[in-house]
Amino acid sequence: MRSKHVIWLFIFMLLLLFPLLKPQGYYFRMFSMMFLWMGLSSAWNITSGFAGYIDFGAVAYFGIGNYATALLMTKAGLPFTSSVLISGILSSFIAMFIGRYTMRLRGAYFGIATLAFAEAVKQIVFEFDRTFKVTLFEGSHGITLPIVHDDRFFYYIFLGILFFIVLTAFLIDRNKFGYALKAIKEAEGSAELAGVNTRRYKVASYALSASLIGILGGVNAYWLTYISPLDVFSVIHTIHMIVMALFGGIGTVFGPVLGACVISLANELIGAKLLYTYLLMLGAILLVVVLFLPRGVIGLISMKRSRR
Amino acid sequence: MEGEKAVVALLLQALVTGLLMGGVYAAYSSGFSLIFGVMNIVNIFHGELIMIGAFTTYWLFTLYHVDPFLTLPVSILSASLLGYVIQRFLINRVVEAPPMMSYLCTFGIHLILANLALLAWSADFRTVTTSYSGEGFSVGPITVPLARLATFGIAIVTTFAIYWFLEKNRHGKAIRAASQDKEMARLVGIDIRKVYALTFALGAGITGMAGGLISTYFVIYPQMGLPYTITAFCVVVLGGMGYIPGALVGGLLLGIIQSLTATYLTSGLSVAITFILLFIILILKPQGIMGRGAVE
Repeated sequence: MRSKHVIWLFIFMLLLLFPLLKPQGYYFRMFSMMFLWMGLSSAWNITSGFAGYIDFGAVAYFGIGNYATALLMTKAGLPFTSSVLISGILSSFIAMFIGRYTMRLRGAYFGIATLAFAEAVKQIVFEFDRTFKVTLFEGSHGITLPIVHDDRFFYYIFLGILFFIVLTAFLIDRNKFGYALKAIKEAEGSAELAGVNTRRYKVASYALSASLIGILGGVNAYWLTYISPLDVFSVIHTIHMIVMALFGGIGTVFGPVLGACVISLANELIGAKLLYTYLLMLGAILLVVVLFLPRGVIGLISMKRSRR
Repeated sequence: MEGEKAVVALLLQALVTGLLMGGVYAAYSSGFSLIFGVMNIVNIFHGELIMIGAFTTYWLFTLYHVDPFLTLPVSILSASLLGYVIQRFLINRVVEAPPMMSYLCTFGIHLILANLALLAWSADFRTVTTSYSGEGFSVGPITVPLARLATFGIAIVTTFAIYWFLEKNRHGKAIRAASQDKEMARLVGIDIRKVYALTFALGAGITGMAGGLISTYFVIYPQMGLPYTITAFCVVVLGGMGYIPGALVGGLLLGIIQSLTATYLTSGLSVAITFILLFIILILKPQGIMGRGAVE
């Protein structure tokens, strides 16, 4: 078990040193994109993997983070760091309110309720200005943020947040909070009978996932410099989080990181050119994993190891 | 006096439009409720079954000039065949697994079907325009579009037909038995897997028919499925999960509320309003407004 963690730490150190090689901007951007996805699917995994409440609307918090940061920076004139932190806090408050009620639903009911939530938020951001005759979200025009040409800056920010998220997941995995979430996943009724305050734990996990996703969304807005509702609230982002975590190994600490690494590379290579084929492939991966590999690639690796 | 009349007419028109829209919602939601009620599966590729039904009608109409209403049996057949095959070979494998697996499975199928359709038919918006499209009749100041009135009628008939089938028919009783107690049903000689496949084919068939009807007044395109799935889910939660007549009540209610908000507030926020309604129901009455649905 130990050697596995050493490998991950070693990879992290290499990534910290990578900019010293003075690589081209393209590599910075590609790695930043991969860190973003690893972070998103790891954050998603805390609610969906550990507690077993599959969130089909996680993109709502990504979009909220994007818009909160964009509005705080452009309209309120706040600096980047505080805007992003406020975005994270805002996401977690919204999640606490939404989770309180939607988490009464189990399994797929929760899934579709959150999907409906994300679509509703997208529509509100898209239509708000036109409906209420104000200038706030800018609707389909989108918002342009101040431009920063510093690929290395974003590389380190995304890497730092990724490290923080994986560390959070790692710590949760082996403390009381994590055990409570896993108990909820395995047998919520029994956990409740055993005295676990299941609602408090699952809503807390949902709010934690949301705040991490919201923070990543905030950085994303500053990184892309232009956001619009149809882009940042796209259901494809949720699909990505689901497939990445599932492919790597849902409910494990490093599975989502591994899955996101492979699939975001695949997205870079074929997603832009052959979108439909790429999405078709994601669907096929999902089916294969569900039918034959419910524990993902990580599960496959550890199975091989234990056989030896 | 004149102004007052116009106000009343506007309200009546909004109610009629909403009622008919509700019929459309009910038509494509009852299959979702049936599949859920029997197998406890929330089918995320439900919208793709609507899409398949709609495209069947579209191609028969465009290529062979068959009247859309005459294509409905083919729409039923294609959607139920698809549903049967998917249930038999994919979903049956995960039906005993943790529920998470079964709906991730249907989600994967959603991605595959929608993107296969995109590759085959491109993302173009398409319409089925017949000689009687857009026709309707007037009652005083109110217009009633014919195609939607027909859908409304068909929705009511199918809802009651399924209800009757489940309550009175021998096969229907087997379905109900299987959904109530799997082990007991097995003991008395009911083949659960067959029952599931039959139910899925039935639910998919009525959904495909609704798709065929929808193609005569809404634009259709390969990616249309997901919003329909969301609406069907909300309709079914409103009426009570798994309770078939609930889909009718939930559909009509949602249709009227959306029509009223479109008339008096805005038409751009339909999904947001659907969600807010869903949210209120979840808080106040999780077993649906009729109080007859399953709570999970």
